[in-house]
Amino acid sequence: MKDLIRIKSLISAEVEALLNQQVKKEAYSSSVYLAMASWCNRNGYDFSSEYFFKQAEEERMHQLKFYKYILDMGGNAISPEVTGIKQEYNSFREVFEEALDQEISVTQSIKNIYARCLKEQDFVTNEFLNWFLKEQREEEYKARRALELFEVIGEEGTGRWQIDKHVGGIKYDSEA
Amino acid sequence: MVTTTQTKELSTWTNVFSTAKGAIYQSDEERCWYVDFAGKVAKFDYRCLLKLKKAVYHVDIEDRLLNSGKSPDVEIIFICACDHTYVLSLLQIIALKEILEGTFVMFELNHIIQDTLYRLPY
Repeated sequence: MKDLIRIKSLISAEVEALLNQQVKKEAYSSSVYLAMASWCNRNGYDFSSEYFFKQAEEERMHQLKFYKYILDMGGNAISPEVTGIKQEYNSFREVFEEALDQEISVTQSIKNIYARCLKEQDFVTNEFLNWFLKEQREEEYKARRALELFEVIGEEGTGRWQIDKHVGGIKYDSEA
Repeated sequence: MVTTTQTKELSTWTNVFSTAKGAIYQSDEERCWYVDFAGKVAKFDYRCLLKLKKAVYHVDIEDRLLNSGKSPDVEIIFICACDHTYVLSLLQIIALKEILEGTFVMFELNHIIQDTLYRLPY
């Protein structure tokens, strides 16, 4: 009997479902960042708004990477439904706290897929995920650094204006 | 694509998994499967078989068993983009689920056998 399932698809049904879940997560992240960009812009934090616009675009790019990988491997990529995006925030700091939470949740989710692939010995998908793991180092660093600015600059006086200015300059250029 | 056939060409099909209620056969030649269930033999390609599995697994059997409402004990298994539908009782759903579960375990077993016998030694 031919192994017809394997002939059709490189990834298992379980990994395919997890990857589709990740597509949805990245789409959700992109929308959350877009809402953050809008909030920052409305409240006068133009550099932070620009920062979140860029983040939104990056998350969308990640989503497409997962989406195309599923299709290329013979799976069924599902266009996600994204709902329940928070539009209002109580403070400037809360925006960045939630941005870091979002990145941590993405990292955990990728680690979960990685663990599943190791269990199945799906090294091909593991190799594909390596890029995302490295990317998460940068994403979490940037989100954490932004929050750090609130500590080192302080929000008093023109503090928030200073923080906003510095958010635009956050970079991660480690070669390690 | 799904078509219904009256005759079972058992000579060229491989029995993947069967129970007293039905069976699933694989045709290597046509690269498809034949589901012998509920009085008919229906041909399923790769995509449709996965959709059938998803639709059957999606039925919440426990909820149906505990539901004392007046709705009829019938489930319609409609598979999008396939010209085939099953109208099944709850007992039939349980029987079909058992066949599908067995079939997919056999697929995995076959995958391991193929790897061990043909793919890895050379």
